Amino acid sequence: MKNLNEITNKSPFKVPENYFEEFNRRIINSTSGLPNNIKKIGLYDRFKPYLLIAASVTILVFLSFAAIKLLGPDKNKLQLSEVVNSEFSESVINDLDISTLEENVAAGVMNEDVPDVSKTDIIDYLLKDNIEISDIYEQL
Amino acid sequence: MSIIKPEDNISDVLKMDLNKGFRLIVEKYSQRLYWHIRRLVILHEDADDALQNTFINAWKSMGDFRNESSLYTWLYTIATNEALTLINKRKRNAAISIDELGSFFTDSHEGNTYFDGDEAQVKLQNAILQLPEKQRIVFNLKYFEDMTYEEMSKITMTSEGALKASYHHAVKKIEKILGKD
Repeated sequence: MKNLNEITNKSPFKVPENYFEEFNRRIINSTSGLPNNIKKIGLYDRFKPYLLIAASVTILVFLSFAAIKLLGPDKNKLQLSEVVNSEFSESVINDLDISTLEENVAAGVMNEDVPDVSKTDIIDYLLKDNIEISDIYEQL
Repeated sequence: MSIIKPEDNISDVLKMDLNKGFRLIVEKYSQRLYWHIRRLVILHEDADDALQNTFINAWKSMGDFRNESSLYTWLYTIATNEALTLINKRKRNAAISIDELGSFFTDSHEGNTYFDGDEAQVKLQNAILQLPEKQRIVFNLKYFEDMTYEEMSKITMTSEGALKASYHHAVKKIEKILGKD
């Protein structure tokens, strides 16, 4: 008896003539129209990637707009550089009231600017304005 | 209308046109799967039935395989299962069992018509039929189709080590049977 290695491994079986051509035709015909488990791609699935891109762009634009709105300069507020110096000075002077000035004087804020004047100089100055000496002493 | 070229990747064609992709699969694999099934079930009529069921099941579950590299093993798995189902059905119902097929090659009309092996091949087929189911599958895939153990492992869901052991045992048994004759 032959050894296994000496026996050809060629298939000893035969098939009817044109079997494979006919089989292929038969199987293709029998499966056409037969349902399968492949998920049908609907309109939503087809456009899903584009919808995701559009949604991302919309969110990005919205966030950028919100960031500019929240963190950017307020157009209703005047910039410091836009205020003319004279206007600033006038508004500051007009806004000051007498009580604030008195407070500043009381606190000695203005003392530094007041020159050192003697009592006799003040009396002389007031006498020149025809103020009564009795009144002057009363005040001093 | 798209035209399928031989070099087209089946997976790509399937994505574009399922029917044309399936036609490519049938044309590419029907012969290989037929011979695989035929070696297991022996009879042409049975092989034809099992092959038809293989492709119908493949069509029905087309969504289960991911790419062309797994298509080959996926189809072989379906074909093997279909062949085994048919063998088990025949064991229960049919007049001819797998054990009686030994004399089939020489004695029956179909045996004479669809078998053209020499005496040594008849004896080899008889010896293969005496192997346990798993060893028959492994022996056929290795000896006749020269399939790698890695591919066989995917088809049979068995480790490569176990498959190598199965093939070794199968060869020993066949040689023992052939040595007796």
